[in-house]
Amino acid sequence: MPEAIRILAPPDWRSIATGAHLRRLSHYRDLLTVLSRHRINVRYKQSRLGGLWALLQPLAMMLVFTAVFARLVRVPSEGVPYALFAYVGILPWTFFSSAVSTGTGSLVTHAALVTKVFFPREILPLSYVIAAVVDLLIGSIVLVGLLIFYRVPLSPELLLVVPIVALLAIYALACGLVLSAIQVRLRDVGVALPIALQLLMFGSPVLYPLRVVPPAWRTLYLLNPLAGLIDGFRWSVLGRPLDLQALGIAAVVTLVALPAAYLVFKYADVTVADVI
Amino acid sequence: MVDLEVAHVSKRYWLPRTTEPGSRGWLRRAWSRVWPSYEPFWALRDVGFTLDRGEAVGIIGANGAGKSTLLKVLSEITAPTQGEVRLYGRLSALIEVGSGFHPELTGRENAFLNGAILGMRRAEIVAKLPQIIEFAGVGDFIDAPVKWYSSGMYVRLGFAIAAHLDPQILLVDEALAVGDESFRRKCYDRIMALRDGGATIVFISHDLLTVERLCDRAIFLQHGRVVLDGPVASVVSAYRRSLAGGSAHENAATAERPVTVTRVAAGGKTIGEPARTGHPLNVRVSYAARETIGGAAVQVWYCTNGGHMVHCEQTTSLSDEPLSLEAGAGDIDFHCPALSLQPGVYTMIARVVGRDGAVLHVFDAPSPLVVEAGLQTRGTFFMPHTWRVSSRGQQANAECA
Repeated sequence: MPEAIRILAPPDWRSIATGAHLRRLSHYRDLLTVLSRHRINVRYKQSRLGGLWALLQPLAMMLVFTAVFARLVRVPSEGVPYALFAYVGILPWTFFSSAVSTGTGSLVTHAALVTKVFFPREILPLSYVIAAVVDLLIGSIVLVGLLIFYRVPLSPELLLVVPIVALLAIYALACGLVLSAIQVRLRDVGVALPIALQLLMFGSPVLYPLRVVPPAWRTLYLLNPLAGLIDGFRWSVLGRPLDLQALGIAAVVTLVALPAAYLVFKYADVTVADVI
Repeated sequence: MVDLEVAHVSKRYWLPRTTEPGSRGWLRRAWSRVWPSYEPFWALRDVGFTLDRGEAVGIIGANGAGKSTLLKVLSEITAPTQGEVRLYGRLSALIEVGSGFHPELTGRENAFLNGAILGMRRAEIVAKLPQIIEFAGVGDFIDAPVKWYSSGMYVRLGFAIAAHLDPQILLVDEALAVGDESFRRKCYDRIMALRDGGATIVFISHDLLTVERLCDRAIFLQHGRVVLDGPVASVVSAYRRSLAGGSAHENAATAERPVTVTRVAAGGKTIGEPARTGHPLNVRVSYAARETIGGAAVQVWYCTNGGHMVHCEQTTSLSDEPLSLEAGAGDIDFHCPALSLQPGVYTMIARVVGRDGAVLHVFDAPSPLVVEAGLQTRGTFFMPHTWRVSSRGQQANAECA
């Protein structure tokens, strides 16, 4: 008898770890392309300002925080104009928070699809991360404008932005995978998420520099990979030396988080249609 | 050559335990909200069968028998709790077509999106798009957002995409039976073509007539278990028998039964003539009794294709006199002055019930009742009626039957 091309069996950690799912995923890469493009189209098709919103959102945040933290209370920004300092923090933060919050709801949003058709469901949170990358690129236009305005010279550190954004995307995906799988069983996740993200923003060096964190808290603080990644993003854009220890910890945490998150997701995935 | 193997598949769902409200303290209630308790429900129990390449099998059973769960397990939407399914070919499912459509996108964009969801590669969709557009009959609308589509166009496009997958194993859900009659026929033709092309078909349906037409084998599910698996004719009649309250398994052999219904025939003014809505209907139940049976009742059930009983008439309820069937052969004639059923195809089932309510025989050979258009009314059934108008001005009456 020929070998079965597919065996449908109860969820099992060992079969997930073989990587067979990744091969299936690669067969569906066209779906990922179509869905990601679809996200971007749909998001901006119905609004008059379209893609401009990807620009206005971080810009508005930057203006508000600059008014508060540079005028009312003085937050140190290490000699960088606060508007620029804040924007290079807000840009990667907005990317992370929008990828995680849309990714978390992705399974529930697509309940009709999930209960009727088979496809690798990790594509849903993944497509939101990709759409967020596009938003990040649009938002970078303002950043370029700010860099020119404040006459920040180009530096070789700028190249580090690419791996840092990749790590940020990986971490956002890991969070999206786990949270979307939990959200299916526990809708409370969706309600709690905005609050959690708000807290996380103040627990990351978005509006203040990493250096002001007291040494006693530093180790704990750095376990949040956003600390090293947002700090790394800021200083590589501005062409200053990076906190390599912080970035290293962030990279390790992120690269462990993704496979772990993927295992959890795939284990929950096979029965998601029963509870959604 | 085996194409699909289902081995000891069981599926358990957890249903929230129902509690009587108010019977417990508020603390308990709050706790049960935060930490609800569930009880297991087995939708499938140790289901097993093997399909050879090119076989067409119908999965039949009442609502809640486990048909949809089996479909979900086979199409990988959900995993079995126990057991496993082995697939030896590419499987596609025709389940509620068009569920992946996005209203803002055009038909063409949706074709790519939907095709990709169904596992088609981009190049494949590009190659098949002209055929898909042609099959769906949406014409120039293919470049309009699908929110402007009529529901018929929506469904047609959905089916057209799914039907062009070229699967080796095809799962077909009854939800497919939508759209107008001509498109439905087109769908079945397409399924037949795939079948003749050597595809293995799993057809999940209530519609017994279609199952009989499309499949050569049927599996009868009841309470999540396989009750019967065999040639379509015998399994479908067993299902009909069980609908009429008989046992799914053949009851006592003909020779031992005290009475056997041998034929059920219907017609308009006379048996064999076409029956029409609002016109008379005559039904003759022929029987053969081995002994004289006192206190019997003979019933005729009228069922839809889905096996849903719409009307049942029986000898005792009208006369209130017990019927005595003489030994030997005989006929019981039912007469209806105005047939209330709307045009369509129905199935008749006859059964004989004894004095103590025991079912003596269920006649389940397919006996179709074709109702043709007669007196025209709208709605689900025809009511015999008359009307008159009284005009107060000139005392003139008009009457019409």
